Amino acid sequence: MKRRPGISGLHSAAAARDQYRSVGENVARIRTDLLKEQLATFRTQLEEFARKHKHDIKKNPAFRAQFHEMCSKVGVDPLASNKGFWAELLGIGDFYYEIGVQIVEICLATRSHNGGLIDLNELCSMLSKKRRTSRETITSDDCLKAIDKLKVLGSGFEVFTVGKKKLVRSVPTELNKDHNQILELAEVRGFVLVEDVERALSWHPGRVIDALETLMKEGLVMIDDGHPDRKRRYWFPCVSLSSSNAEEL
Amino acid sequence: MGDFKFPYFFDYPPYFTLQPVQDTREKQMQLWKELILRYCQHHKCFIINLEQEFPLFQNLSIQRKLSFEAREVFLAALVAEGKAEWLDKAHKKCLVLWRSIQEWSEMILQLVRDNAMEDGVLTLDEIQSGDESRGTELAGIDRFVLVRALKLLEQRGKAAMFKGKAGDDEGVKFSAS
Repeated sequence: MKRRPGISGLHSAAAARDQYRSVGENVARIRTDLLKEQLATFRTQLEEFARKHKHDIKKNPAFRAQFHEMCSKVGVDPLASNKGFWAELLGIGDFYYEIGVQIVEICLATRSHNGGLIDLNELCSMLSKKRRTSRETITSDDCLKAIDKLKVLGSGFEVFTVGKKKLVRSVPTELNKDHNQILELAEVRGFVLVEDVERALSWHPGRVIDALETLMKEGLVMIDDGHPDRKRRYWFPCVSLSSSNAEEL
Repeated sequence: MGDFKFPYFFDYPPYFTLQPVQDTREKQMQLWKELILRYCQHHKCFIINLEQEFPLFQNLSIQRKLSFEAREVFLAALVAEGKAEWLDKAHKKCLVLWRSIQEWSEMILQLVRDNAMEDGVLTLDEIQSGDESRGTELAGIDRFVLVRALKLLEQRGKAAMFKGKAGDDEGVKFSAS
């Protein structure tokens, strides 16, 4: 557009700017509308997809994981509410809710043995045993999602990593750095000797014993004086796969 | 009698050491008490002698065995619960009552009814290992326990024990009708 000099020129420029602006806004609005429309279509298609593959989503963990990824890309959270379209369509809200309840049951049942700390993999395998009649595979990923839901309900569950293992904590006891380091050492054989900890971490025996005694009082450690070499071993039930029978506990 | 199934804790070494922390000790005791009762019932074992080896108190596969003290503590806990009795003042011999004397006496009455012997006579031997008791839980019952159970029935007027002629076994006449 040709610029005209003078006041009228200014007016034109302003008018032109306004026009541009409204066109610009229009374009933006059109783009948003288009996007909204695309998203809506995508959502509908996702819902169609979910409806069609409901069975697979429930039974196949790999498929389930991919489905979740798809959903998060679109900004849809199938777990967001227990009621609502997704929960009803897929019964997925119920699925994780069910697992969550069973996880709580298992943690309570094993607490007197492991002090309220349990290896995530062990939890998962006990969960699978509990649900063996339903023939669905439960992955540790499913466990983590369910535990996440539990957190939202304020149940005090937490997952943390020590060394190579993920542990699920169901009691308020928090481990300090000393405890965590010993726990990591214990992962190797399921137990430690005082001399192991002294050597590996360069601690005074006093510091080692202090930490171990606190862990014992919390119910996280059991002593073993029965080895032929007569050295005391400190066992950590939370890192040993020793409780293999869910019913017994 | 099938194979005895050992619980998970039997393969976990720390359970063979008396735990010092109260809560852990209580859990340990509860597990061992149940195991002792179940093992004795399965193997029809009535007496545990602390001065002798008892197969339940060691696990060779993990090279662990319960100390004398631990065994005494667990058995004493059973005694406190009424599920066992010390047979001597020194607490070296323990009678394990995986069934109470009362329950044994009821079983004898049942045996009597099942065999239409309400007014009959049986020798103690027959109750322990005769045809009538074959296949029932009474088969193989310890003599001492049997006599205690019969004494209970005597008190209730349902039975009367007597000694046989010289060389004969002791017997019991029932009045259980």
